[in-house]
Amino acid sequence: MDQEARLDYLIDYLLEENIDTKEKMDQYERGTAQEKLALFRGLCNVRPPEPVTDQFTRVQDAFLTQWNNARTLTALNDLEAIEPQLYLWQGDITSLAVDVIVNAANSDFIGCTKANHDCIDNMIHTRAGVALRLACDAVIKAQGRREPMGKAKITKAYNLPSDYVIHTVGPYIDGRGVSLLKEKLLASSYRSCLALADEHQQKTIAFCCISTGEFNFPNGRAAEIAIQTVKAYLSDTRSALNVIFNVFKDEDLHIYRAILGMKE
Amino acid sequence: MKKRGEYLFIEKNGDDFTISMTPELQDDIGTVGFVEYADADTDTLEVGDTILNLEASKTVLELASPLAGKVVERNEALISEPTLLNSAKPEENWVIKLTDVDEDAFNKLEGVTRYIS
Repeated sequence: MDQEARLDYLIDYLLEENIDTKEKMDQYERGTAQEKLALFRGLCNVRPPEPVTDQFTRVQDAFLTQWNNARTLTALNDLEAIEPQLYLWQGDITSLAVDVIVNAANSDFIGCTKANHDCIDNMIHTRAGVALRLACDAVIKAQGRREPMGKAKITKAYNLPSDYVIHTVGPYIDGRGVSLLKEKLLASSYRSCLALADEHQQKTIAFCCISTGEFNFPNGRAAEIAIQTVKAYLSDTRSALNVIFNVFKDEDLHIYRAILGMKE
Repeated sequence: MKKRGEYLFIEKNGDDFTISMTPELQDDIGTVGFVEYADADTDTLEVGDTILNLEASKTVLELASPLAGKVVERNEALISEPTLLNSAKPEENWVIKLTDVDEDAFNKLEGVTRYIS
């Protein structure tokens, strides 16, 4: 099967599942390879955490492996440390071949459920495959309640080039702006992720800019808290973790460079 | 005497220390829809231990204890009526009563200016 044939199989499977996903995807075309990719991604995004067949998993994994590896992957060796244990890298976190990447999740915890939504939660779940949603669903069901802000949970990364995903729910900033509690919760998200990575004896963790996307935390203040919390954790615990600050937007790259004392 | 820590008020009455909501915390979390006490079987708390889990309109949050101590009483009314945590009245929005609390640890918490009530 080539990639397009795999997509056709996967789309047919998802459309025939009969779990109320079809009508949500009515406006999608299915002509070009690009349209098929969007339809497949959207169907996975809106799909509830239900098991899939082994055959589906095999075809999906083959598709995702090829799709994910078609990009340039980045490992820790490709990066230069700013200071011992600290790295800054701009790009798509799903192309990082490191031990752990951090996902900015929400309290429902099963990944973004909006078709083709352009957020990190959506991209991580899409490129990992449907098994990640099932794993997150099992975690949250075992907990018995929605995920609080400032905590962290670990899952495998499935088809992603990283080994694990640590999911954290950062604070949500509404019209009233940042409060001390929200700042503390953001720091708590970073600390919880670091502690969990150490608990699982991981060597490298890549952080996205937690809470700055859909959750509206001001980018500058968020970066200050991120860097300060990571530095304090590393020195307080003497952790040997390598920490990558992964930025996506140019705005965040400039902010992190400035705070970390790097030249433009 | 009243102090604050972890965005909560702590009021000392004799040997008991009552932990309740601050207006800032109430403002931050929005209307509370669900409350569940953590480890309802254990009768001691350490600093930072979760007192309760709450889900509100704007937040899902674990309330951490600002003090270590022995649990005297939990506000069981919150379980059936979670919006009591949004009440302005301390007799309604209290969370837990502790005893055997280290007086020094309490005294080190941030003080609260007394307003005439």
